[in-house]
Amino acid sequence: MLTPFVNAITSNTFQTLAQNTDACVKLETSLKAVGRPAFTLIDKNTDKQTRKYAATKEFLYQILCLGIYMAIIPPIFKNGGFKLFQKLFAKEQMPAFRNAKQMMAYHHLAYMKPSERAIENNIKNAKYINLLERGDKDGNLLTDPKTGKKLTEYLFGLKDGNGKEIVAPLEKRTMEKEGKMFDLAKGSIEFSSIVGSVVGLTILAPEISHLILHPIMKALHLEGNHEKTGDNNQKIDKQA
Amino acid sequence: MGMGNFAYNQLKKICESLGKHNDALYAVLAIAVFKGVMRPTFTMMDKESDKETKKYAAFREGVTEAIAFASYILTHKLVLPLCVPIAKRTGASPKKIKNGLSLLSVCLTAGIIIPAVCNLTLKPIMDGVKKLNDKRKTQKPNSGSNVLDIKENAVQEKINVPTVYSSQLSVNSRSLLDAVRRNSMQNTAMRVGG
Repeated sequence: MLTPFVNAITSNTFQTLAQNTDACVKLETSLKAVGRPAFTLIDKNTDKQTRKYAATKEFLYQILCLGIYMAIIPPIFKNGGFKLFQKLFAKEQMPAFRNAKQMMAYHHLAYMKPSERAIENNIKNAKYINLLERGDKDGNLLTDPKTGKKLTEYLFGLKDGNGKEIVAPLEKRTMEKEGKMFDLAKGSIEFSSIVGSVVGLTILAPEISHLILHPIMKALHLEGNHEKTGDNNQKIDKQA
Repeated sequence: MGMGNFAYNQLKKICESLGKHNDALYAVLAIAVFKGVMRPTFTMMDKESDKETKKYAAFREGVTEAIAFASYILTHKLVLPLCVPIAKRTGASPKKIKNGLSLLSVCLTAGIIIPAVCNLTLKPIMDGVKKLNDKRKTQKPNSGSNVLDIKENAVQEKINVPTVYSSQLSVNSRSLLDAVRRNSMQNTAMRVGG
């Protein structure tokens, strides 16, 4: 019983998910969208109509948060933040990644065992490899400025014309030890994502929801009906 | 320049640390803290609602986020000691188990624990606060001695000034002043009683 559970939470997919702010916030918001309305509906302290109203409002609010998050965070904060940090940390000799997506593709592959990185092992690998092979903004293959070696060499090694391995790919642990995981670049993405999540979910979402939520509730005939029954609690729920 | 360098180094340290190990907890804690500050602020800025409703809603939002913050930390602290025994029994990497359990605890807390704790505790907390407020309001007229003191002093100050010159006033002026003085005292007394 324990082993399958541990295998699941230590799998590469789960590990990369746990290390990714963007994915964690999306998961958290989705769970809130299900959990909060469900618990509001089973709360027996308030009447049925109020529960229904509060649960629908909470569900719509969380869905809206998720929508705002998905629309704003990856393109603006994740990519924009990453580019900003690339300029800020210019003297730190990070590879010239084209964007945050390309850096994450490298990170995903670096996190795997060398034998798992090949295209044949995973459909997603093809996407990551394709992103990496696009190279920097001039189309040149990405290199590590500190060693001058290509990043694909770290991930897949080097083979001669006959397919014989000349240089072996690096293990994740070796990459970590030798600074080839580019923690600063990865951390910049996570930092911008955290800042973006905070701005998106605490400033933008409440403001936008204030404009959108009431018309939706009215269109669903929930706000009008709810106000008709109006007691003190309902007034308070609407505000909250 | 020194300050700029310090900020640069701190930011670099934070980014490197996040790159090496990013816990699912960091983002949700940051969101809880800022939500706990921003949502009540926005609610209090809303000009359409009355002051009492705004205060109630803002306090409720603040308490909800405080519960969220505490729940995230508590579940994380409860889950962490399980990593080593699980790693010993299964032979898996403790670091990987820690990462996995951390994400699971965040999910469990966001989806189940926070709404459940809020359902159980929010109403008693808000009822308690409401009772306290009501009590304070009902006590206000009886404990309004401070208001009375200020009024009385103010009246006395006003009255004391002319009494210095009262000997110089005519009979009519003196009787007018007495009438004013009487009225002022009566008004103050009425306000205290009411």
